[in-house]
Amino acid sequence: MVVTATRTPRTMGNLAIPVLLINSKTLYQSGSLRLNDILSEQTALMITDNFGKGIQMQGLSSEYTLVLLDGEPLIGRTGGVLDLSRITIRNIRKVEIIKGPSSSLYGSEAMGGVINIITDGAGQHKTDASIRYGRFGSIDGAINYARKYKKTDIQLASNYNRSEGYSLKPFAVQKTVEPFWKAAHQLNINHLISERWKAGAGLRFNNTHIDNSISVQNLGSTITSKGFEKNQEYNITPFIQYQVDKKIKSVLRGYITGFHASQQLDVKDAYGSYNDKFSQLFARVEQQTDIHPTEQSTLTLGAGLIKEQVSSNRYDSLSTLRNNQIAYLFAQHEYAVNEQLTIIGGVRFDANKAYASVLSPKFSFQYKLNRCLNFNASYGRGFKAPDFRQLYLNFTNLAAGAYSVFGTEVATAEINRMSAAMMLEQTTDMFSKLSVLKPETSGGLNLGVQYLHPQKLQFNLNLFRNDLSNMIVTDVIAFKKNGGQIYSYFNLKRALTQGAEINLSKQFINALNIQAGYQYLYTADKDVVDAIKDGKVFQRNQSNNLVSRMGLNEYGGLPYRSRHSGNIKFYYQHVKGFFATSRLMYRGRWGTMDLDGNGLINRADEFAKGHLQLNCSAGIQIKQQIKLMAGVDNVLNYKDLINLPGNPGRVGYIDLQFNF
Amino acid sequence: MNRSIIFAFALLSSLFFIACEKEENASGPNSSLTSNLVKDLVADTIVGLANGQPVGVGKYTFYSLENNAIVPSSDSNSTKWDIAFRGTSILTNAGTSGPGAGGAFVYTGTYDELKTVSPDSVFRKDSAPSSFAIPSGSNKGWYVYDPVNNLITPIPGRVLVIKTAKGNYAKIEIINYYKGGTTPAPSVSDDIKLKTQRFYTFRFAHQANGTASFQ
Repeated sequence: MVVTATRTPRTMGNLAIPVLLINSKTLYQSGSLRLNDILSEQTALMITDNFGKGIQMQGLSSEYTLVLLDGEPLIGRTGGVLDLSRITIRNIRKVEIIKGPSSSLYGSEAMGGVINIITDGAGQHKTDASIRYGRFGSIDGAINYARKYKKTDIQLASNYNRSEGYSLKPFAVQKTVEPFWKAAHQLNINHLISERWKAGAGLRFNNTHIDNSISVQNLGSTITSKGFEKNQEYNITPFIQYQVDKKIKSVLRGYITGFHASQQLDVKDAYGSYNDKFSQLFARVEQQTDIHPTEQSTLTLGAGLIKEQVSSNRYDSLSTLRNNQIAYLFAQHEYAVNEQLTIIGGVRFDANKAYASVLSPKFSFQYKLNRCLNFNASYGRGFKAPDFRQLYLNFTNLAAGAYSVFGTEVATAEINRMSAAMMLEQTTDMFSKLSVLKPETSGGLNLGVQYLHPQKLQFNLNLFRNDLSNMIVTDVIAFKKNGGQIYSYFNLKRALTQGAEINLSKQFINALNIQAGYQYLYTADKDVVDAIKDGKVFQRNQSNNLVSRMGLNEYGGLPYRSRHSGNIKFYYQHVKGFFATSRLMYRGRWGTMDLDGNGLINRADEFAKGHLQLNCSAGIQIKQQIKLMAGVDNVLNYKDLINLPGNPGRVGYIDLQFNF
Repeated sequence: MNRSIIFAFALLSSLFFIACEKEENASGPNSSLTSNLVKDLVADTIVGLANGQPVGVGKYTFYSLENNAIVPSSDSNSTKWDIAFRGTSILTNAGTSGPGAGGAFVYTGTYDELKTVSPDSVFRKDSAPSSFAIPSGSNKGWYVYDPVNNLITPIPGRVLVIKTAKGNYAKIEIINYYKGGTTPAPSVSDDIKLKTQRFYTFRFAHQANGTASFQ
């Protein structure tokens, strides 16, 4: 069953939009520890390694993907990236991934898709503990405890993860990944008050601590600094549910989450110590009512209020709180016209205090030709709210060219202040174009065919296209007297991502399952495409420095996107509890940075090399209580210091699990 | 100004001037007018840090396109020079920069394609401190600055069309901003990036007969 797609439980064969479901068996047998581990093995999902482990879906980067934990959004992004390695999957029952825009149900950030991590559900009775040891002094320990009483059930999960880190460069002062520890604790309680009333609450704490030792060479002098970086996150999720009758169910959910990040460095030079703090609070109350007026239709109605608060010395001072309030309404109607055809229509309206309001509709259709074959089509609008950085950032970099970046809400005041202080050389045309930021928006079309047959080859194909507009980019609004540039944010860029995703799966003699997947992805900045067509874009040859006009076929699209990617995976399961897996993933070359000055990915040296990653694991059940597993990730020992700093090479591990 | 910095600059600049190579023929196949390649022209190289920012001594390097030679800065207030370089800033000999009949604009296209200066071209004159014939700033004139990798790269397809101090036409393509004509790899330390920048490699063609043709 999948809940994320429509906010009500549906079976996989009854979904009108592309969905990927990863179950607990796959999570365990793949030897995954953190969310990024398992997602990196899925077709059409790319893990990016910039400000932590981000996800790229349908060619949209991490900031356009909403990550939910048991249906509630996780916060605490850096540079738009929600670091997936923050999330342990030791107490995860399944991961649901919805592709394409779903802002009609979830609001901001649900543009490329939604990832919903669903923890161990209510109603279980178990105690298990696991311990893992791997290369680089990596230890992971977890305890899960669940009890079911007459009317109450309780789940408790604890996870601790540490590593000594590693260096891809030998003898470097600064490790590629510094020693860290992460700890997560979660408690959930559900109580059946009466036949109709149910209430519960969840509490989660998640902490990360990373050692820092940074060494910077600056004009002959080496500046070394030691310190640490830490993140603290908490989530509180109370709810109360009322079953009016067989046809109507209503849930009131509260949600409070906080994220505090700090970095402290003792810099050994005249600048003194460096202290960076960021604090975010997200509080929400939401009411959702599901109504089944007839057998054939489901009506979902919801409304909510959100309060967001951020303070950071990256913006101005820690004591200045920046706020936003959102009020929203959503409605969705699912209607089965007949046995074959189902139509779903939905819409959501978000009224925002700090930026422009937005309306997000979505329509989807499913047509079942027979029991195995079905077609689906959907079109939805997605949006991403401007983040606090884009609204309130007040940053000056002294080291690199003394440039400054001001958020749109503070830019005019800062420019006026600097102008009065005679610090400005001139303002640019863009300064007069500064305005209230609008959310970034997208329209996403998905067309799919699915063939599901338990004994035969299973197959699905999905074609997608996302048109993004109002994308927020920086531009120069003024020059300082000392030559430094001042940037602010504008809704200027338009982009498109389109492609095809194919998945095949076949079960052989109940023991062997083979899966294969491939994604073709084309991405482009629309204004760049227009400029190339107009013959206004040039490139410089790497060997002879000669300049030539660039053709459309030489344009490598948006950075960090692989045109080709795929995988082939083998899962062998013996009746006596023995299993073995082998998963081979391919990621084709992807653009990393411009080197010839045209701001685009075009030259061969502007791409990171494509590579293969092979992960293997095997395990056995010893008696009823003990499971033993061993595995090797990155068997081929592929490394790329510059483009894949998060990949340490071959890593072996052993893992022991007790079920009490 | 600190005396030792001036001394260091004098020492460095004398070394660089000796090292500066020039007068190589680099004419393309399509142009009959001779193109000249100038390598490693020093443009106020960085001598230290001030308030955390890298600085040179603030002096322009003056260049005569007519003679294909560096002009001593003592002649800055004359018509002996046509173009001057300081960091990423480029001056032409007119307006607030000098007494010449110069000017410039930035042409979008390839160097070889630019065969004549179109009669409707508007040559801008320097008007310090706010406006220059060749605009300064990333992506505004001839270069782009990458703040992530801290590198400056000439934009391909930008040709500086220059009126010399005497009023003749010239075209310039800036090829590289780093010593030896090679941009350091992005992974190289900032230290090396700062020490090797402000060395211009460019090619130019100059029409001495006063016509607008580069053929």
